[in-house]
Amino acid sequence: MAQICKDAAFRINKREVDEFEIFTASSVENEIEIFKRKVETLSFSDSIGMGIRIFKDRSVGYAYTTVLDEKIIEDCIDRAISNSRVTKKEEFNYLPRKEEFKFKKKSTDDSKLFKEDLLDYDTRSKVALAKKLERLTKSKDKRITSISSVVYNDSIHETALLNSAGFFGKYKTTACVVYAAAISRQNGGTSTGDYFGCGRAPDDLDLEDVAVNAARRSVSILGGRKIKTQRVDLLLDPVVSSQFMSIIAGSLTADSVQKGKSLFKDKIGKRIFSMNINIFDDGTLAEGLSSRPFDGEGVTKGKTCVFEDGYLKTYLYNTYTARKDKTLSTGNAGRASYRSTPGVGISNFYVSPSKTGYDKLLSSIDRGFYIMDIMGLHSGVNPVSGQMSVGAKGIWIEKGSLKYPVKEVTIATDLLSFCRSIKKVGKDLKFIPWGGYIGSPSLLVKDITVSGR
Amino acid sequence: MIENKIAKKVLNTLLRNGSDFSEIFIQKSISSSLRLEDSKIENSSSGYELGCGLRLWIGDSTFYAYVDSLEEEKLLNAAKVLSSAVEGSSCLKVLDLTRTGSSYHTEVEKSPAQVNQDIRKNILESVDKNSRDFSSAIIQVTSSLSDIQQEIYTANSYGASSYQQEVKTFLAVSVVARKGKNVRTGYKSLARTCGYEIFDFKKPQDLAVEASGIAVGMLDAVNAPAGELPVVIGPAFGGVIFHEACGHGLEADAILKSASVFKGKLGKKIASDIVTAVDDSTIKYRWGSYKFDGEGCPSSKTVLIKDGILKSYIYDLKTSRKLKAKQTGNGRRQSFRDVPLPRMSNTYIAGGNQDSKSIIRSVKKGIYAKEFAGGQVDPATGDFVFGISEGYLIENGKIGFPIKDATLIGNGPDVLKKIEAVGNDLDFAPGFCGKSGQSISNEVGQPTIKVSKITVGGTSN
Repeated sequence: MAQICKDAAFRINKREVDEFEIFTASSVENEIEIFKRKVETLSFSDSIGMGIRIFKDRSVGYAYTTVLDEKIIEDCIDRAISNSRVTKKEEFNYLPRKEEFKFKKKSTDDSKLFKEDLLDYDTRSKVALAKKLERLTKSKDKRITSISSVVYNDSIHETALLNSAGFFGKYKTTACVVYAAAISRQNGGTSTGDYFGCGRAPDDLDLEDVAVNAARRSVSILGGRKIKTQRVDLLLDPVVSSQFMSIIAGSLTADSVQKGKSLFKDKIGKRIFSMNINIFDDGTLAEGLSSRPFDGEGVTKGKTCVFEDGYLKTYLYNTYTARKDKTLSTGNAGRASYRSTPGVGISNFYVSPSKTGYDKLLSSIDRGFYIMDIMGLHSGVNPVSGQMSVGAKGIWIEKGSLKYPVKEVTIATDLLSFCRSIKKVGKDLKFIPWGGYIGSPSLLVKDITVSGR
Repeated sequence: MIENKIAKKVLNTLLRNGSDFSEIFIQKSISSSLRLEDSKIENSSSGYELGCGLRLWIGDSTFYAYVDSLEEEKLLNAAKVLSSAVEGSSCLKVLDLTRTGSSYHTEVEKSPAQVNQDIRKNILESVDKNSRDFSSAIIQVTSSLSDIQQEIYTANSYGASSYQQEVKTFLAVSVVARKGKNVRTGYKSLARTCGYEIFDFKKPQDLAVEASGIAVGMLDAVNAPAGELPVVIGPAFGGVIFHEACGHGLEADAILKSASVFKGKLGKKIASDIVTAVDDSTIKYRWGSYKFDGEGCPSSKTVLIKDGILKSYIYDLKTSRKLKAKQTGNGRRQSFRDVPLPRMSNTYIAGGNQDSKSIIRSVKKGIYAKEFAGGQVDPATGDFVFGISEGYLIENGKIGFPIKDATLIGNGPDVLKKIEAVGNDLDFAPGFCGKSGQSISNEVGQPTIKVSKITVGGTSN
C-alpha cells in the first residue's frame, strides 16, 4: 500500500500543483445473516480505493477511483486538478503542519486496534456463532415468535496516507459486530426489540448479553398502552441516551458551529449540563472502534474533554476549521472512505459514567417513564434550532418501580433545556457502533412533557 | 462490458458445486458532485468506480462476493472461492445468454460528460443568490449538485443478460432562516433519471424560492396542538408516510420473514375503499425509474392496493420464486457491492376525485401537514413517527397559522383504514430510501388526503 501511494505521488509530482495528499484504503469484509437456522446471506469482499486531494493556488480539488491502473490514476489526477479550478480560494487551504497538532505525542497503541485472532476464524465458525445467537435469543422468552434479523459482520481495514508536506502513515484495524432483532407477540399485540455487541474479534462478543437484551427490549414493551399528556421524569436506557448523544456530538464539530448550524454556537465556557456531567471525545481508546493513530488528514489523535462539569470547553476541529478559529486541530478530520474529503467528525464520543447503578436511578423516581426505544430522532430533532420531537416506547414508572408498557408517546422540547434537565448519570456505559462510536450510561431527566392521547 | 464467453465461464464456475442460481452484476460509473455553502463552492469531487458482484443461491441461502475489477482471472478466482463455500445437488449449466428487452426507453439530451464545471458552479451560485434574495431572514444556504453516468450489465444462470446505460442528476437546496430567536429550515430537491435537461422540468431558481418559502413561512409558527386530530396530508412528499409505514411492509422479504402486518392479507381489505396504491418504475425520467432492475428484470407497473384490497407485494427474483408470485422488477441494489433486495421504485397513492380545497374545508379543527423532515418506522408493526417540517392549523375549514415542533405518531395500516378523502392533485417527490445499509433512489407520491384521526405530538394542549 505504501508503494501504491508513492507511485501516485511520483505521477502528481510531474504536474503543476502546490500540494497534494493521497489516501488509500483497503478492506476485507464478511457478513453473515441467519434466518430460521439457515444462512440467509453470506457475503465477502476485498476492495481497495484511492482518493487524491490537490491544492493549487489555495483551492482544493478531489477525485477518487477504485481502479488503480496507470491510465485511470492519471485520469483521476486530471479530474482532481480540474475540480480545484471551481472551488473557492481560501487562505486556509493547505496541508496540515506539525505545529498545528493539538496532540504532539502519539498515544494510540496501534497493536490494540488490530486483533490477529479474527484471522483464525473461518467462515464455518462465524456461521456457527451467528446461529448460536439466533438460538439463544429465541430461547429467552416464549412470547418471542421469530427472530427477524441476526447479523454477524467483521472487517479488516488498512489505511495509508501520504502528503507532500512529508507525512506518511498507515494502520490496520479489525472490527466485529453482531446484531439481533426479536419479534414477540401476545394477545394480538406485536413488538420488536433489538440489541448488538461489538469488539475487535469474535472472542470479544458476549452473545448471552446480546440475546438477553434483544429479548428484553422486545417482550417488555409488548401490549403497550397510550397515556395522557403530562409532565414526568424520564429514565433513558443507555441505547437511547447514546442516540441523544449522537445529536449532541454532531453539533460540536467546528464546521457546524462555524457555518451557524450548531446550537452550541457562542456557548464555549457556558454551562450546558448539570455539574456532574463530563463528556469526552477520545480517539485513542483501546477498545474504541473509532480509534486511530492519526485522523483523515494525518493529524495525531488524542483525548479531548468536550464538557467538563457541565461546561462546554471546546469544539472538535480538523486543520481547516482550527485555522479559522485560530486554534489547533484536535485530530478530528473525519473520513468515511476514500470517496470523501476530510470533514470534521467525532471519534469515540462518550458520557463519563458515575458510580450510581440503574436500580438506584429507578428507585429515585416517583412517577416517570423509562424510555427503551425512540423513533424519528434524526428527523425529529433540528440540530440548528434545537427543537426536538421524537416518538418513544417504554415502561411506566410509579413509586420507583416499573409498572406497565407504554407506546405512541411523543416528547417535544428543545435540546438545550433537555440537556439542562439531565440530573443524574448511571454507571452502565454502553457504546453504539453506528454513526461513530458513541456511548452513554443511563440518564435521569427531570420534568419533561410527554404527549400521549 | 464483458465477453459472453467469459460471463458464461464465471456463471458456470459459480454453479460448479451444485448451486441453484448464479449471477454477475457489473457496474461502471463516473460521478461528479459539487457543494455550495456560505456562498462558496466548498467541495468539488469526482469518482470513477468499476466493479463486479457475484451471487449464487443454494436453497434459501445467498452467497455474495464483489471485486473491484473486470479481469477474467480475478472474476474466476472470486467465483471459485464463492462456489467452494457451498455443497449442493443441482447440476445446472449455462449454455447461452439472451438479451432481455425492456419497454423503458429514454434519450439523454444533455449528458453530464458535456457539462463543464463552470456550468455546474453557475447552477449552485444561482440557487444561493435566489435563496438569499428571497428574504433577508435567510442566513445560510447549502446546495449540492450531483450527477452520475453509469453502465450496468447483468447475466444469470437462467440464460438472461441485460445491459443499460443510465444517467441521473440531483439538485438539493437547504436553507436556514432566522428571525429573533426563531430558527427554521427549509429543504427541497429536484432529481430525475436524465441528464442536465432536468432543468427544463424546473429551474434551479424556483427550487431555491420554494425551500426559502418554507423556512421563512415557518418563522412565525405557533406551538402545535397535541392529541388525536384529523390530519390532511399534502400532495407529493406527503406520500413518504405511505412509503415508510406501508410500502416497506409490502416488500416481499418482510412477508417471508413474518416481519410485516400485511402477511396473509393478499385479496383482503386493508385500506378504505377510496385507496389505490401503485409502484411504477416505468414512469419516464422519474428518480425511481429504470430500464432494468438490479437483477436484469425489466421495469414494470404494479398495482399494490386496488380500491382498498391488497393486490400484490413488491418482489425481487428470489422472493417471487419462493412465494410463487409474478416477479415485479423490484430487485434493486445500491451498487455492485450490494445484494439485491425487494425495494420500491416510484410508489404512490393514486389520485381520487376530490378537490383539495373541499377536503380542507371539511375539517373543523385539525392539522394540514405539507412537508416532513423524514421519519422512522418499525416495519414489523407499521408504527411510525414523522416530524412535520411544514404544517399548519386548520380551523373551521381554513388553513391557519404555521405550526412548529409537531410530529405525527401512529400506525401505517391503521391510517390506511382511516383515509376519508383522496384528492385529485397527485404529485411526486424524489428522495433516497435506506434499507439494510443500502441507499437507493425513490419517488414517493400522493394527492391531498384526509385521515380522520392521527396522534399529533406538539407542545401546547
